[in-house]
Amino acid sequence: MSLVVVDIADMRISDNPGDTLVTYSLGSCLGVSIYDPVIRVGGMIHCMLPLSKVDKEKSRLRPYMFVDTGMQEMLGQLYEAGMRKARAVVNVAGGSQVLDSQGVFKIGERNFTVLRKILWKNGLLMNVQEVGGNKSRTISLDIATGRFSIKSGGKLVHYELP
Amino acid sequence: MSYLDIIEQHIAAFPEMPSLSQSLLGYLDDPDVDFIVIQDLVQYDPGLTANVLRLANSVYFGGAGTVGSLQQALVRLGTKRILELVLSLTVSPRLVPNLPGYGLQARELLRHSTWTGLAARELARLLSIPHEDTVFTVGLLHDLGVIVLDPFVQEARIDFNESFERGHGSFEAFEKEILGISHAEAGARILENWHLSPEIVAGARWHHEPDQATAFGEIINLVHLADMLSISQGVGTGIYGLAHEVFSESVRAVGLRKKHLEYTASKTLDRMRELDAIFS
Repeated sequence: MSLVVVDIADMRISDNPGDTLVTYSLGSCLGVSIYDPVIRVGGMIHCMLPLSKVDKEKSRLRPYMFVDTGMQEMLGQLYEAGMRKARAVVNVAGGSQVLDSQGVFKIGERNFTVLRKILWKNGLLMNVQEVGGNKSRTISLDIATGRFSIKSGGKLVHYELP
Repeated sequence: MSYLDIIEQHIAAFPEMPSLSQSLLGYLDDPDVDFIVIQDLVQYDPGLTANVLRLANSVYFGGAGTVGSLQQALVRLGTKRILELVLSLTVSPRLVPNLPGYGLQARELLRHSTWTGLAARELARLLSIPHEDTVFTVGLLHDLGVIVLDPFVQEARIDFNESFERGHGSFEAFEKEILGISHAEAGARILENWHLSPEIVAGARWHHEPDQATAFGEIINLVHLADMLSISQGVGTGIYGLAHEVFSESVRAVGLRKKHLEYTASKTLDRMRELDAIFS
């Protein structure tokens, strides 16, 4: 088994049953995994910020930094790899916040709002949705089984395919 | 003996600041310092010289691989920036231990500290607030107290867990309640023992309580906000996650908007990657 680390502002796709995709320490960032259980292809992205318009130059160099450009790119690559929309299992975690009464720091909430819009536009539903609060989370996706896991505050929870 | 008594002893016994940094810091506030003096201090440490050249040649500092000597590096970056870089390079080995009390793996505190320094500098630039250089240094040093408190947080794990389960509150408040001192105060005491300038000490002391400061408000607000952004981005959050409070007054005082934060986060990631490679 090999661990494929999805760095911050990055995305990975795998069809190797020996791979587990993992991304660490999601604060306000969003971690999204999408898996097709029939062809056993999965992708995972670690987005930092909601919209690419905040830094247009960066969106060309690092599309996965942003939820809008990153999700569009990941979905495109998964469809190219043979994924079917009806089979896609979408799991989402992250989007936490520091305690901020003014709301300027609500990057996590803004990330999730943009993600929901994109999923809605693409006709995709969320399976696991573990978003918000003030936890830091680490997520993984096992390509062989589609099992999605969330580790947070020393606790590990596994989610099998629906 | 209370936790506080033992912690006080650990603060007093915390290793001296690296001697080279101490010599160099004496020149940080001197605008007319001759670069020959700096060159003389640095050049006898070949590892340090090599790292200064790598930094001077890095994209972050606008280099293109053309700086071949310490003298050229000093001319390109200016003595003040070189002093800061040398300070960073000499202090960074202190920030790498595994800190199980806070749930920070090896090098995570260094990543958090560097991220905070870079983000504070970027915020200062974006918001046209002076002190770009000072806030980088404060960012780098603001969490030194975490190293001292770590074994005590580990020992009092049950108390900390209970406090968190009990409900709303920030980690700093629990540190004071359980250990009698916060990591911010412990860090400030170390920096005082190192005879660092009052703005650096104040920046560390009040980085979670900017409203308590009586001077250096701009520096403290910037470091506080950069620290919160770093934690928010999941950089060095540790076991207790994002349970830290943003001070609204700091947001208002510097005129911070969400676009500033998001732009800073995006810029800091790339600079971080470059410095990560150099510090490792």
